[in-house]
Amino acid sequence: MATYTMVDRSTCIACGACNPNAPDLFEYTEDGLSYALLDGNEGTTEVPEDLIEDLEDAIDGCPTDSIKMADTPFNCQKVEAS
Amino acid sequence: MDHSEVMDITIIGGGPVGLFTAFYAGLRQTSVKIIESLPHLGGQLSALYPEKYIYDIAGFPKVGAQQLVDQLIEQMNQFETTICLGESVEEVEKGDNGIFKLTTNEGVHYTRTIIITAGNGAFQARKMNIIGEDKFQNTNLHYFVNNMNQFKDKKVVLFGGGDSAVDWALMLEPIAEKVTLVHRRDKFRAHEHSVELLRQSKVDIVTPYVPVELIGDEKIEGVIIQETKNSEQLELEVDDVLVNYGFVSSLGPIKSWDLEIDKNSIVVNSKMETNIEGIYAAGDICTYDGKVKLIASGFGEAPVAVSNAKVYIDPTAKVQPLHSTSVMGEQETNKKKDQVSV
Repeated sequence: MATYTMVDRSTCIACGACNPNAPDLFEYTEDGLSYALLDGNEGTTEVPEDLIEDLEDAIDGCPTDSIKMADTPFNCQKVEAS
Repeated sequence: MDHSEVMDITIIGGGPVGLFTAFYAGLRQTSVKIIESLPHLGGQLSALYPEKYIYDIAGFPKVGAQQLVDQLIEQMNQFETTICLGESVEEVEKGDNGIFKLTTNEGVHYTRTIIITAGNGAFQARKMNIIGEDKFQNTNLHYFVNNMNQFKDKKVVLFGGGDSAVDWALMLEPIAEKVTLVHRRDKFRAHEHSVELLRQSKVDIVTPYVPVELIGDEKIEGVIIQETKNSEQLELEVDDVLVNYGFVSSLGPIKSWDLEIDKNSIVVNSKMETNIEGIYAAGDICTYDGKVKLIASGFGEAPVAVSNAKVYIDPTAKVQPLHSTSVMGEQETNKKKDQVSV
């Protein structure tokens, strides 16, 4: 089953917990807020199978439950990385 | 602890800004209390990234997050501060005499003013969300280790795979009869060195398993865990269960206090006053035009909130404080005088 992810940047608190858990999946913009690296947080690119466990770790480590995972694409607005 | 004393200032949130606010309240000779939802002070710094370095604190080219917290506590301890840990605020009510009655999950507190420094809201331990979890929270299910000796000669099952889960397992191993660490994947998120120590220890590592059910009447007697891939189930015999799944934070009941809220932040004016007279906010939880969410700016907002709260309590006081060198210098001189007279 395909897996997609994105960060709800309205609830992200820029704590920096997700990147160490999933460095290939999450990065921060200059304000410290996280975004999904695969597709600029659009949530439309399938997460590779070998990164699913990292994604689960990042979800577990997010204190505000801002990292979302679904089996259908999210189609969010693209984030311009700094 | 007697909570009936009316404090001048009650601070909600014991993170870095809350700690500095408490120090400054002491410096301005007000009685002060901190209410913190976690069983320890330090907020995000201690809960989420104690080992990370912070580079934008004035006067510190580089400071470890926990080191900064320790320094703030030392600074705060120059004055008497009442600390209430493990308490989450629920309701606030202003009496006819202007005194606030603050209700928490543990009791009632009275205060002339409130300064909210709750960051992103109250942190709570993340739960497992399995059958039986609510039933055992007051018996042998733990989310924090407050006293290692309570696990002496006990069979402890620990859930989690991060740094603190591994650290707890290693600390408990020489004390407990048996420590079993259960994690849902074979790889641990903890530091490589800690994981290496773990693998060399007597800790029984069970992966990749997740908890399914807690069994027992008065207290947990067994835990059913399930293999993540083939669904095979095992039952572990336990005396105590420890869960280390990190934290979740939320603004919680503060949202229903009739404070003006903008995007999860409390709106304040240049005096750090909220729309409710006598309630102030500082740090990440507050917002105003041009607000920057940094510890450094929170440290600037703290004396503004305290000094204006001081004037609210005592209208004859000045907003502009004396310089700390004068206040502390006088205190040191008085201490020396007392020592001589003894």
